[in-house]
Amino acid sequence: MTEPSSETFPGTLVGVERLREHVRERAKQGGLPAKAVYNLCLAIDEIATNVVLYGYEKAGRTGSLRIGTSLDEETFTVTLDDEGVAFDPSRFVPPTPEELARRLEDRTIGGLGLFLAFRGVDTLRYDVRSGVNRHTFSVKRQPHGSTPLA
Amino acid sequence: MAFKVSSQVTGDVVSMTLVGELDASSAGAFKSEIDKAVGQSPRSLVLELKDLTFMASAGLRVLIYAKQKLGSGVSLYAVAPQDGIVSTLRMTGFDKSVYIVDQPPPPTPDTGRRT
Repeated sequence: MTEPSSETFPGTLVGVERLREHVRERAKQGGLPAKAVYNLCLAIDEIATNVVLYGYEKAGRTGSLRIGTSLDEETFTVTLDDEGVAFDPSRFVPPTPEELARRLEDRTIGGLGLFLAFRGVDTLRYDVRSGVNRHTFSVKRQPHGSTPLA
Repeated sequence: MAFKVSSQVTGDVVSMTLVGELDASSAGAFKSEIDKAVGQSPRSLVLELKDLTFMASAGLRVLIYAKQKLGSGVSLYAVAPQDGIVSTLRMTGFDKSVYIVDQPPPPTPDTGRRT
């Protein structure tokens, strides 16, 4: 399963759900452990959901979500391309330990999605080229052939 | 997998069973169920999560909403969540406000410890 692949989904929340399922299957085929598959899907879901809600819907735009997956000996990589309003997630300031220690009664609602996205993968990069936003998610594979499937 | 949520009221405990994937699409259904639970003025809200396979931040936001609507005196339980969801609850500090347990708490007479 080393051949890169790409697939296009509608830029809607239904599209995000289908995209998540697609990435899950590809990551499983790539031999990622169950925990890494879950966290990767969570990271991509959070970013893709933001693209749909803010990059497309809130801006009155429509568009697609294009997913590319590739695998080499060390890394499973997923790219997500969209044509929505540009937003660089690296500008995001993560919640502080003090904020994360607060009781839910005392919390504000925002910021958790991007926090989970960055925590879910080894690297998350963003760049924009010719009006196309690209998020690149990378997950390191297990050092040797062991592929725990618990 | 499609998301489903259903509730059962027993005394002053609302038990809610969540099945499938809780994401931005399905969080509205969960929030509506929370609103119904708030109307019951429960002492505890027990979330049965054994068959919940995915929870995005949209689900976390509903948990914040639930705690803020129900008030500090109402205990929230997450029963038998799957590993990925436990990890999310811990990473975000939600485990400090939500009891993560293997079994539902005992019936109300034994839990009436708050004053």
